Amino acid sequence: MKSITILSGKGGVGKSSIAASMAVLLSRKKNIVAVDCDVDASNLALVFGIGKFEKESFISTNYKAFLDREKCNSCRKCLDVCTFSAIEWDKGKNIPVINGFLCEGCGSCRLVCPQNAIELRRVKNAVIGRADTGYGFPLVSGQLKMGASGSGKVVSEVKIEAEKMGGDVMVIDAAAGIGCPVIASVLGSDYVIAVTEPSPAALSDMKRALEVVNHFGIPHGIVINKFDLNKPFSGKIIEFAMENNIPVLGKIPYSRKFVEAMVSMKPVVIYDRGFEKIFYEIAKKIEYVWV
Amino acid sequence: MKKIAVTGGKGGTGKSTVATALSIELSKKGRVLLLDLDVDCPNDHLILSVDLKKVKDVKIMMPKFDTNKCIKCGRCREVCMENAIVQVKGKYPIVVAEQCTGCRACKIACPADAIKEDEHVIGHIFRGKGIIEMISGRLKPGIEESSLVVNAVRKYIKPIEKDYDYIIIDTAAGTHCPVIAALLDADIGIAVTEPTPLGRHDVDLILELMERLGIKSYVLLNRSDISGKKDIEKTAKKHNTKILAEIPYSKEIMKRYSEGKPIKHESIKKIAGLL
Repeated sequence: MKSITILSGKGGVGKSSIAASMAVLLSRKKNIVAVDCDVDASNLALVFGIGKFEKESFISTNYKAFLDREKCNSCRKCLDVCTFSAIEWDKGKNIPVINGFLCEGCGSCRLVCPQNAIELRRVKNAVIGRADTGYGFPLVSGQLKMGASGSGKVVSEVKIEAEKMGGDVMVIDAAAGIGCPVIASVLGSDYVIAVTEPSPAALSDMKRALEVVNHFGIPHGIVINKFDLNKPFSGKIIEFAMENNIPVLGKIPYSRKFVEAMVSMKPVVIYDRGFEKIFYEIAKKIEYVWV
Repeated sequence: MKKIAVTGGKGGTGKSTVATALSIELSKKGRVLLLDLDVDCPNDHLILSVDLKKVKDVKIMMPKFDTNKCIKCGRCREVCMENAIVQVKGKYPIVVAEQCTGCRACKIACPADAIKEDEHVIGHIFRGKGIIEMISGRLKPGIEESSLVVNAVRKYIKPIEKDYDYIIIDTAAGTHCPVIAALLDADIGIAVTEPTPLGRHDVDLILELMERLGIKSYVLLNRSDISGKKDIEKTAKKHNTKILAEIPYSKEIMKRYSEGKPIKHESIKKIAGLL
């Protein structure tokens, strides 16, 4: 199964809208699975107008440390060893307090504890949902539980689930940023579409995201969304692409229809067929990846 | 000193735009420090044209194997929860730098004292002063643990916090570890969102997170006129908060944003006045 990942660095530049429309168009030629790997703010289901998942399953990719107060001898070794600042000292009770929001489940505190007072327990940290998009292909979506950690590992699980659905191509909507969930989305991808818009912030963020993509040596191209909002700046993006031998796959003009489509919870190519051409051209330019 | 976090869940709703504009507004009332804790993609210095200088490397511990002492027992690989240690049977272990979080579990577990502490740079702290004084964290591309850079900035500013009246914290998009770490010390959190199903979905998550962290939260509705705001009002109410101010869609604001300049709007004045 091939996989095409859509990322951007900066949030809100149109990743999910573009991922949904690409999936719709590619599904006319191939068997597609749309995959939402923005697991801490998953939105792709909403773009397809999916209100409820048909099937949901809890997964557990992480551990957290738990303290047995009876066994603790207040030696403070755990406090000193925690890299994630997740252990604080309760002066009144003279015991450590583990902050579940910050604990990454590395287990150092458990290993250093002379009393065996700390254990690591598996925690259910995410839900994977599956649904029919209504456009002839399924969606697999991950949602991290509030305050849970391990988004990268959850992304890997979501991709494994998507693989199980079978099909020719996975279209992956990645998270904003360049950290663990994005790295997990990019790993193993056959192609990356980097979405940007003509603003200094969006260009700077896309460059950082592409550093990650280059780090893993994955072929990639650029889509400039809302390119006509600042044409001189779009020119700078194109210059950057040329200097670095990155193909510009498409330029999408600013249109309120993108927002209207989002509000009516439809992919923009369905909401207004006038957009089909732009997305077909993008698909055509990366045909070698998905055919 | 008050710490005000600007967050939102969904990306691109205007967090940095609001954080920078609010910093400028508050600087009329007191001493302001702006922290850009979107360490994956820091942008505030671009909007404010602040020239930043690197003031610190963010380093984590990385294991270094002493092959004279290593007995190839595999204990280090077993305890590493990040699967950052690879060991082929009968060979010495190898560490995968990108995956290592520097937790020291391997070092603690090693029965042969064969693991020494090496360092690994995972990001940097930048500082600069233009119209606003700011400190910005930056994750090295390819490194996974953004929250470690956020925590390093939090630690870095501890001794200077008291020199300011307002510390504005700009967080990353999403609700995961680096956002949680950035929100931790905030007194007030402003969730910037937009009236779309995606905006509503994500603001619901971030308001819930702030509730759990015990942070007083408010909603700032950006592009408030692109669609009805009833759902956002309902979501805010569900989390015992309200829409504090609204910024309607405006070509002028879009233009300033696109040029990388801070915006001015009465809603920002309103928020600054309330703080």
